[in-house]
Amino acid sequence: MTAPAQDFHTRVEKALRDPQLKIALERTTGNARRKRAAAVAAWPDFEAARAAACAIKDHAIEHMATYLEMFENNARASGAQVHWARDAGEASRIVIDLCKASGAKVVTRSKSMLGEEIGLPHALAEAGLRRVETDLAEHIIQLAGETPSHIIWPAAHRTREDVAKLFDQYHHEKPEGHDVVSMVASARKELRADFFTAEVGISGANFLVAETGAICTITNEGNAELTTTPPRVHIVTAGIEKIVASTEHALQLTRLLVRSATGADLTQYTTFHCGPKRAGDRDGPEEFHIVLVDHGRTRMLAEMPEMLRCLRCGACLNHCVVYRAIGGHAYGGAYPGPMGSVLTPVFDGLEQSRDLPAACTLNGQCKQVCPVDIPLPTLLRHWRARSFRAGHEPKAVSLAITIWAFFAARPRLYRMAQAAALPALRLFAKGGWISSLPLGSGWTATRDFPKPPRQSFLAAIRKGATR
Amino acid sequence: MSAREKIFAAIRKARPERATPAEIGAQAQACSEAMKRTLPALDQDDLAALFTARASSEKVGASVERVATLADLPPAVARYVASNNLAPDFALQPDPRLKNLAWGELSPGAPLRADSALAVGIALCGVAETGSLVFHSSPEAPTLYDFLPLHHLVALDAKSLVLRLENYAAFAQRLAIPRNVNLVTGASGTTDIEGVLARGAHGPGRLHIVIFD
Ligand code: SF4
Repeated sequence: MTAPAQDFHTRVEKALRDPQLKIALERTTGNARRKRAAAVAAWPDFEAARAAACAIKDHAIEHMATYLEMFENNARASGAQVHWARDAGEASRIVIDLCKASGAKVVTRSKSMLGEEIGLPHALAEAGLRRVETDLAEHIIQLAGETPSHIIWPAAHRTREDVAKLFDQYHHEKPEGHDVVSMVASARKELRADFFTAEVGISGANFLVAETGAICTITNEGNAELTTTPPRVHIVTAGIEKIVASTEHALQLTRLLVRSATGADLTQYTTFHCGPKRAGDRDGPEEFHIVLVDHGRTRMLAEMPEMLRCLRCGACLNHCVVYRAIGGHAYGGAYPGPMGSVLTPVFDGLEQSRDLPAACTLNGQCKQVCPVDIPLPTLLRHWRARSFRAGHEPKAVSLAITIWAFFAARPRLYRMAQAAALPALRLFAKGGWISSLPLGSGWTATRDFPKPPRQSFLAAIRKGATR
Repeated sequence: MSAREKIFAAIRKARPERATPAEIGAQAQACSEAMKRTLPALDQDDLAALFTARASSEKVGASVERVATLADLPPAVARYVASNNLAPDFALQPDPRLKNLAWGELSPGAPLRADSALAVGIALCGVAETGSLVFHSSPEAPTLYDFLPLHHLVALDAKSLVLRLENYAAFAQRLAIPRNVNLVTGASGTTDIEGVLARGAHGPGRLHIVIFD
């Protein structure tokens, strides 16, 4: 279960009434969109590259069993211990048992969305372990007692003013100033000692490389290596869909992943980890564990294999008009935005999360920016259709759709009904927009409806009217 | 059935393997080749110039200088120490090529610590396309030298430069697989507050590269 059983509509209303949220989201996603656009513009064949990236992931998915077996054998040969988990609970239990076996009291963690997906923060707290989030954004939201609201920028909902308040309140040494640089320096000081106190460091993985048995992390702060190198035990949690054939494929995908996420060519640190400390090594973990997690992925292999291509770059969030208006928390699951609306029903069940695929304008922006060309709008429509067929839609919605379908299948009747409705709707308009409608307040409370034209498009064409 | 067996059974049911290892290998190769055909052209005549341009670009933000030979590294370090008001003692990556240099007034014997001001190291190779330094961990190249100091100064052999990430992957295939491969592209940084870049998050705040021939 990744989403709390709270009403989606309540969360959305709360988000839409928060002007600070809108400012914070626009600053982060606006920066991301501009930088991605510049990076893509510098790669003339980017469209062909997306197709090639798609083929690289599809190849790994097509031969998933072969490559996972190869990965496991190579990882074991390097001294790594490989564990398998069917679901979130099993994955968390394996991690907690490993922590307990190592006698850990303090655990450092570098940002991993899979960790959020399997509920690891909660499981660590329940086990009485002190969890130290070392990624800056994760540190911010840990201080605020929140969950991530973006898969690349977990604190995208927080303005610099919010962060200043949190650091002033919680840091042992207050930041020297409230500019971004001073606050980053303050976090560096605050977390330094914990990197060396922790007995266990937990990371995710961006790729599992079959050819070598290494796992790859792509980060920028340096916290990941400080999380995985000094502690005695390094635990990796990764979804089985992260498998790729080779180091070359991993690096080729990284080119698109990073450009789509932050607009850089590479992030500061692209790191491959292969097994524990070796003879003569001065640093590195003594134990290296990899927990490979299914949690719905083998079901997706049959139902929506395209989604297994997802590189978790976040571009679809940054370009989504809905995400930009409501932010990540409103979605309720571990993954927000278009990709989250496709994934959350897999993890939590469609009945629980049917509102997510419904909250989409189907404008197709997400698919256009996706580095592996995932047909997100098609997958969202797939969930909508399934929800309707399974009878999860509220009665009023089902009834409305059934009535609409009746007219839609009878074009003459449809046009007559439309001709009657248009002038009536126009009565509610003020200056080109309708801001309140009887029975439609749910829609108009936070948005306006454009005043409809006098006659329908078809009617206008038929009359040969130009306007 | 164990979790492992159940997961493999589910995968094989959805995607039974029908190809031979040779066929799979050929497909993987074709995928890499298709990607290579989309890459923007790069000027391959002077890899050191290409590397320098990328590494010192605003996006990557490293500083780069060129010297004649590795023997010129100590004076380069001395200049860096002076211009950044650093103490003359620093942590030296335990690589024999570095240990054997004549360090003069400098004292390269400082232990690496959580708050080391400066560490001096040497890269295995560099990737010109991205301005990245590559390190393979070993007793002579511990991982933490790249992450703990505030200033990281790295010597890079111009002859070790490769054009693209694919060239590095091909080169690495001929070497033993190290515990850590670190591709380092610029000094540590974060955009976690409002998407604005700030340098020196948890890793080095400054990266200085000395290319030698
Ligand atoms: S669906 Fe595509 S755009 Fe969205 S996070 Fe995944 S890879 Fe990125």
